[in-house]
Amino acid sequence: MNTMRDDDVLPPELERAVGPLREAPRPRREWLDHVVEQAAGQRLGELIGDDDWRGARSRRWSAHPAMAIAAGLLCMVAGAGGTYAVMGRARGAGRPSPDVPALQAEAVGRAPVRFTVAAPGAVNVSLVGDFNEWNPVALPMTRLGDGTTWEVEIPLAPGRYTYAFVVDGRLARDPSAPQAARDDFGAPSSVVLVRGAL
Amino acid sequence: MTLADAPGYHPVETPDAELVRRTLDGQAASFAELVERHAGPCLRYATRMLGSREDAEEVTQEALLRAHRALARYDGRTAFRTWLMSILINRCRSALLHRRRRDARVVLDESAVQGALVQPEASRSELRLTIERAIAQLDPAQREAFLLKHVEQLSYEEMAALTGAGISALKMRVQRACDRLQDLLRDEHDA
Repeated sequence: MNTMRDDDVLPPELERAVGPLREAPRPRREWLDHVVEQAAGQRLGELIGDDDWRGARSRRWSAHPAMAIAAGLLCMVAGAGGTYAVMGRARGAGRPSPDVPALQAEAVGRAPVRFTVAAPGAVNVSLVGDFNEWNPVALPMTRLGDGTTWEVEIPLAPGRYTYAFVVDGRLARDPSAPQAARDDFGAPSSVVLVRGAL
Repeated sequence: MTLADAPGYHPVETPDAELVRRTLDGQAASFAELVERHAGPCLRYATRMLGSREDAEEVTQEALLRAHRALARYDGRTAFRTWLMSILINRCRSALLHRRRRDARVVLDESAVQGALVQPEASRSELRLTIERAIAQLDPAQREAFLLKHVEQLSYEEMAALTGAGISALKMRVQRACDRLQDLLRDEHDA
């Protein structure tokens, strides 16, 4: 730390006026949140823009130290609280075929959907998708008591959603669900369909 | 005095360099903590430099996002705030250049002053408005040097490293800024 020198000292009348300016203004909360969201979006863009991810997902998983996590990724999307009558998946561009059952939601409004993923060794896991503008900080998942399973529950209205997990900063699609069309987002992602009740 | 000792900078348990490392490891919350820690001091400088809270938020956001993109290049040899400040100084210069090209001038935004006030007292607010107006009238190079020296309280060595200007040139700018500010304060007082 440098010591104050003569040319560091203001004349008293100027010091009296300038002193209060050294108080740092308190940033607006919504502005801070916006900056952090923008940064998270940048991070996601970097992930998606990574050719290695786009072009060689399988190789990436098998070659990367996170292989243990990838190998352990066992994902399940489950209806919560008996809201859904049927569990299942969607395929293609939102056109479920007879062999692809979809999640059955209440006809009107949103219903809770629980996403769980087994990611042994992961430190941070979050859920991203159409429902949260692919914001990796919006839906952090909680590690359950077994130490390897992560979970988050969100309300979803009937519809088709593309989603993925961010496991320690890397995008991972749900290997047990249909893969989204490549032109959906250019990133590893899966599809879930939430249907209205019949 | 160094950057780490500057007002508004509150050392906390987790060092900045560790938060940078965690951010690079994918922990978005760590970058949020860096933003919480440094946004206020950044806004302080940018608001005084640009004279507008709105512009200050814009350039501070740009600086933080640029820093975020370049985090992998932060080597930890300088304080994170020094590194961030160098980006912010450049963003402020660009904003002023852009503004000059539009033939605009620095106009003091009263809301910026109000937003920057911390539990203002009436008489203190008046003095504060006066000094804000006076600072806004300084030549940008003098304003930059004055703010870095007497508001951000950097050493001339740090200022030289951040601005690319020589120490003697910076001392001259600060001295001229002080003279001008004293003249402006006297004028206000007489008026």
